[in-house]
Amino acid sequence: MIEIKDLKKVYNGVTVVNVPHVQINKGESIGLVGNNGAGKTTLFRMILDLIRADKGEVLLKGENVAGAEAWKNYTASYLDEGFLIDYLTPEEYLYFIGGLHKQNKAQVDEKLAGLTEFFNGEIINKGKYIRDLSKGNQCKVGVGACLLQQPELLMLDEPFANIDPSTQFRLKNILKDQNKNHGVTTIVSSHDLNHVTDVCERILLMEKGVVIKDIATSSSTLSELEEYFGVGQSTATYSVAVDKEENH
Amino acid sequence: MISTFFDHELKAFWRSKNTGKSIAVKVFMGLIILYFLAIAAFIGFNLDKILAKASPHDDLVVAFCGILLVYYLVDVLMRLQLQELPTLKVQPYLQLPIKRNSVIGYLALTAMLSFFNLWPFILFGPFIFKVIAVTSGGLTATVFIISLIAFSGFNNYLALYIKRKANLNGWIMLIAAGGFSLLVAGDFVWHLYSLKAVSYLFFGNLIIKPYLVILPVVLAVAMYYFNFYYLKGNLYLEELSSKKESAKSSTEIPLLNRFGHVGDLIANEVKLILRNKRPRSALIMGLFFMFYGLIFYTNPKMGEGFKIFVGMFMTGIFIINYGQFMFSWQASHFDGILVSKVKFADFLKAKYLLFTIVSTVAFILTTPYVYFGWRTVMIHFIMYLWNLGINATIVLYFANRNYKRIDLSKGASFNWEGVGASQLLLSFPLILFPYVIYLPFKYFKYDNVGLAVLAIIGVAFIITRDFWIKKLEADFYTKRYKIAEGFRNK
Repeated sequence: MIEIKDLKKVYNGVTVVNVPHVQINKGESIGLVGNNGAGKTTLFRMILDLIRADKGEVLLKGENVAGAEAWKNYTASYLDEGFLIDYLTPEEYLYFIGGLHKQNKAQVDEKLAGLTEFFNGEIINKGKYIRDLSKGNQCKVGVGACLLQQPELLMLDEPFANIDPSTQFRLKNILKDQNKNHGVTTIVSSHDLNHVTDVCERILLMEKGVVIKDIATSSSTLSELEEYFGVGQSTATYSVAVDKEENH
Repeated sequence: MISTFFDHELKAFWRSKNTGKSIAVKVFMGLIILYFLAIAAFIGFNLDKILAKASPHDDLVVAFCGILLVYYLVDVLMRLQLQELPTLKVQPYLQLPIKRNSVIGYLALTAMLSFFNLWPFILFGPFIFKVIAVTSGGLTATVFIISLIAFSGFNNYLALYIKRKANLNGWIMLIAAGGFSLLVAGDFVWHLYSLKAVSYLFFGNLIIKPYLVILPVVLAVAMYYFNFYYLKGNLYLEELSSKKESAKSSTEIPLLNRFGHVGDLIANEVKLILRNKRPRSALIMGLFFMFYGLIFYTNPKMGEGFKIFVGMFMTGIFIINYGQFMFSWQASHFDGILVSKVKFADFLKAKYLLFTIVSTVAFILTTPYVYFGWRTVMIHFIMYLWNLGINATIVLYFANRNYKRIDLSKGASFNWEGVGASQLLLSFPLILFPYVIYLPFKYFKYDNVGLAVLAIIGVAFIITRDFWIKKLEADFYTKRYKIAEGFRNK
């Protein structure tokens, strides 16, 4: 599904992403973890062709994403509020996204009916523009728009960060369902180790732009990760890197 | 404490994105401000001559005293429109252990830092020194200056008070603006009373009885404290910010459905314009441009060459005014557009179609200028074609070179956000191209041929639009990372 070859991005002399090779197969569920500034969002953006790679390439279904359009047909993503058209109401936005995938209103409504529980009555017909929603509810709109597109590849950047515990629980179930029952390849980044180890079968751990661990999730994964992130262990020598993407 | 606040304020100014990192913008800003200051200073230094010309039968001092209050009435109206509330900036201080009085004192003081408080001194200061000080002595001149300061302060805090009130209830602004307009209209339209006489009643008496200066000073101080205590009682974020809560509804524009994807994109853009403050004010400013012709056409000295210029601005003001910030309007969700299934060619087609729709409306609105002859309307139509053919393409070409983010929720007046070199460069071809083609013909007295060539070029570009869209798309693909990165930079 995804093949990353020799990918590199440098900002002001600091290498923020340096991935020699990663292969992600169809139907895998990937969890991306790492401290702030590890390069998770930059990697996401390079997979989505939002940032020009200094070196190397990202292949989706064997095709280089840079300059291509075909991957947009089967890829859905939500990285941040910058993906939402904030002066539209959620319904208008969802119909617009549905329209891009040749779905009419009735079809969109039908799909949204399946998300009633996830939206929890806070999104549809609330008489608000997206910009007036809380960050958590904006995230719900973004994730909803992704699911509407029935993607083969779903990419979410820290989706658990702003949503309430009930929604976190529901989102985890949705991700598992998409992956198990619909064969969707999912890539989710998170700072919550419990969530990623629960949802994802394979964990990529990034540090300073490099994937330093690539592990299949097992019962010991959580403690392994906790050991890495635990204070006083390997982090003692960890210098603080400025996060290019998150500290605008 | 207040000095710390001022320090922060200065830092905020110099470090804000609006101040502009590029030298071109700074120079341009400086020139514009200098230009306005120079005009004001020119008027100020020649006010005695201007007044003598304007009302030759009156005594100079009488005429001067007459206009002061009128000026301050207009001043309040302008402030209501243009002056920004210095409010949300206090947000980070509210939860800190700082006395409320210092926060409010800071708010109230920074409110005085407005260009509006500078104009009266530039406009009237020279006259006071040149005429009043000579005829009535230094004391009178001093009390005049003090009155100017006091009236400016009074206006300043009155306008801010009304604006704050209006944040809570939109009707207040309408009522206030309506009230002041009626006050002005009562004199100049219906002639019920004379504001000049009222103004002279005060300022004329001020010459004889300098102690009257106490009146405006008391008014100003009262207004200051009125504002101060109002703020003190309402120092809550929801009341300071200008967010108004009302139910929003989804709307559809059925006509656009016929255009498929492109129609959807236009529908989104129409919503962008109508639902955000800055593009909305750009559109409204465009409507005012429809009166542009009245300024030029009523002056018989202006030849046909001006009609090209005026016609271009009237039918194409939207293309120019809105188009110059193209793509920046969508900066906040540009990433979303890039990863969505929107084809960039469709995106461009939507822009062209939007330009066409709005320019057509603008052309229809300018048809009453037929009063100045059918030829005027014909020139408008030629420039309408020119706008759709050339200017729309030029604007989109420069849009590919515009990397500046725009915050849609801020007003358009005196807003420099998003202004960069590309806007400056853009203005040259927009203004020069039609003349480069037209003037040589005019020089050899083939005016009609010149106009015909303009029309033919416009139509040629409209017909070959698909070709230009392809060119622009290819161009965009070489620049999109830079554009997207610029737009991500808040």
